[in-house]
Amino acid sequence: MRGQGRALLRLFALQGAWNYERMIGVGMGYAAEPLLEDLAAASPERHRAAVGRATEFFNCHPYLAGLALGAAARAEHDGVPGDQIRRLRTALCSPLGALGDQLFWAGLVPIVMSLALAAVALGAGGLALAAAVVGFNVLRLLVTRWALATGLEAGMSVGSVISASWLPRAAPRVAVPAGFAAGLALPLVGAWLLAGAAGGTSSVLAAAIGGCGGFALHRWGGARWTSLRVGLLLAVLTLLWTRLAP
Amino acid sequence: MIDLTVGTLALLVGWGTLVGLDLVSVPQGLLARPLVAASVAGWLLGDTETGLRVGALLELFALDVLPVGASRYPEYGPAAIGATFLAVGLPSASGLGVGVVWGLVVALVAGYSLEWLRHTNARQVHRWSAELDAGSTAVVRRLQWSGLARDAARSAVISGLAIALAFAIGVSGQSAFLGLQAPITPVLVGVGVASALSGALRTAGRGPRLAWLGVGVGLGILAVFSFGVGS
Repeated sequence: MRGQGRALLRLFALQGAWNYERMIGVGMGYAAEPLLEDLAAASPERHRAAVGRATEFFNCHPYLAGLALGAAARAEHDGVPGDQIRRLRTALCSPLGALGDQLFWAGLVPIVMSLALAAVALGAGGLALAAAVVGFNVLRLLVTRWALATGLEAGMSVGSVISASWLPRAAPRVAVPAGFAAGLALPLVGAWLLAGAAGGTSSVLAAAIGGCGGFALHRWGGARWTSLRVGLLLAVLTLLWTRLAP
Repeated sequence: MIDLTVGTLALLVGWGTLVGLDLVSVPQGLLARPLVAASVAGWLLGDTETGLRVGALLELFALDVLPVGASRYPEYGPAAIGATFLAVGLPSASGLGVGVVWGLVVALVAGYSLEWLRHTNARQVHRWSAELDAGSTAVVRRLQWSGLARDAARSAVISGLAIALAFAIGVSGQSAFLGLQAPITPVLVGVGVASALSGALRTAGRGPRLAWLGVGVGLGILAVFSFGVGS
C-alpha cells in the first residue's frame, strides 16, 4: 500500500480540526487520504465512499489512532463492506482512548515531566529537560509507527492483535512508576523553589499553610476547585492579607 | 522591566504559537508543558534560570490536569511564556509569585479559547457535512488546514496578549512589586505541591501504586537533605 510515510506524518496533526461534531474524524480522513490513493485509480466510487467513512465521527487517544486508521484502510483495500468498517471504528474508540489515556496522559507524561522536574531541581538545568523532551518524542514516534504498521497488517482482526500485543499489559503498569516519579519530584522541586523565595522560616510556614489549604480545598472541595482555581484563590487571599494586615 | 522590542515580541509570539499548536493540534510533543514553554521563553529572554523556576511551579499545577478528549482544561503553554516575561522583569523575591499568578490567569482564559476553537471547527464541519460524507478530499484538506490555521492564530493572539499585558502590568505595577514582600511565592509553591500530590493520589488509587508514591516521597525528602537542595 502506498502513502504510509505521509499517513504517518499526518498522524502527528490528527487533531488539527478537533471539533465537537466529529471529534478527530476530519483528522482521520486527512491522514487516511494517502493510504486510500490506490483506490482512486481502481474505483473512484469506492474511493469516495472510503474517504467519506474515514471522516465520520471518531475519537480515541491520538498516539494510538494509527491502529484504527491502518486497520480501516486495510479493510477498505480488502473490499470489506462499509457497515463492518464502521462497526470496527466504533468498537475501537473506547479501548484505544482508555489505553492511551492510561499509558500516556496518566503514565508516561507524568513520569517524564516528574523526572525532568527532579533533574532540574538537582541542578541539571535545561539539558535534562531537552533530553526528556527528545526521549519522549522518540518513543512517541516509535509507538505511532508501530500503531499504523500493526493496523495496516491486521485489518479487521486488529482487535485480537491489540489484545495480544504489549499495549494492554503496559498501560496498567505505568501507574506505579508514575506515582514513584511524582513522589520523588515533589519534595525536590518544592525545596528548590522555596530556596529562591526570600523569607527563610516564614517562607516554609507560608508554603505549609498554602499546601494544607490547597490540598484540603482541592481534595474535598468538589470538582469546581481545580488546582488552578485553588491557586488563584489563595494567591488573592495572600495579597489581601498582605495589604490589610497591620 | 524588560524592554519589549518588536524582535523580542516576535520571538516570544512565534514560540507561543508553536506551543499553543502543540497542546492539541500538532505535534503534541510536550512543547506545551509549562516547564518546557517557560524554560525556552526564559532562554530567549536571556534568563533561563527564571524560566525554569516559573515553568517548574506552573508544571506542578499542570501535573494535576488530564487533557482527556472533550473536557475543558487550562492551557498552560502560552500562559507560561507570559508568566516568564513578567517574572524576568521583576525583583526575584516577588517576581516568581507574581509571574505565576499571571500565568494562572492566562491559563484559565486560554482554556476558554480552546472551547471557542472547537465550536468554530464544529460549525465549519457541520457546514461541509454533505461534501465530507460524499468523500471530497478537497474539503477534508480545507477543513484540516483551516483548523490548523485557526489554532495557530488563536495561539498567537493568546501569546501576544499574555506578553503585552504582562509588560503593561510590569510597567504600571513596578513600584508596587518592588515593595511587595508578600509570601505569595511560597504560598503558590505549597499549593502547587499539594495539587500535584492530590493528582498523584487520585491516579494512584490504593494498593501498591499508593505505596510506591509513598516510597517516592520518602526518597525525595531524603534527596533534599542528601544533596542540600534549597539550602
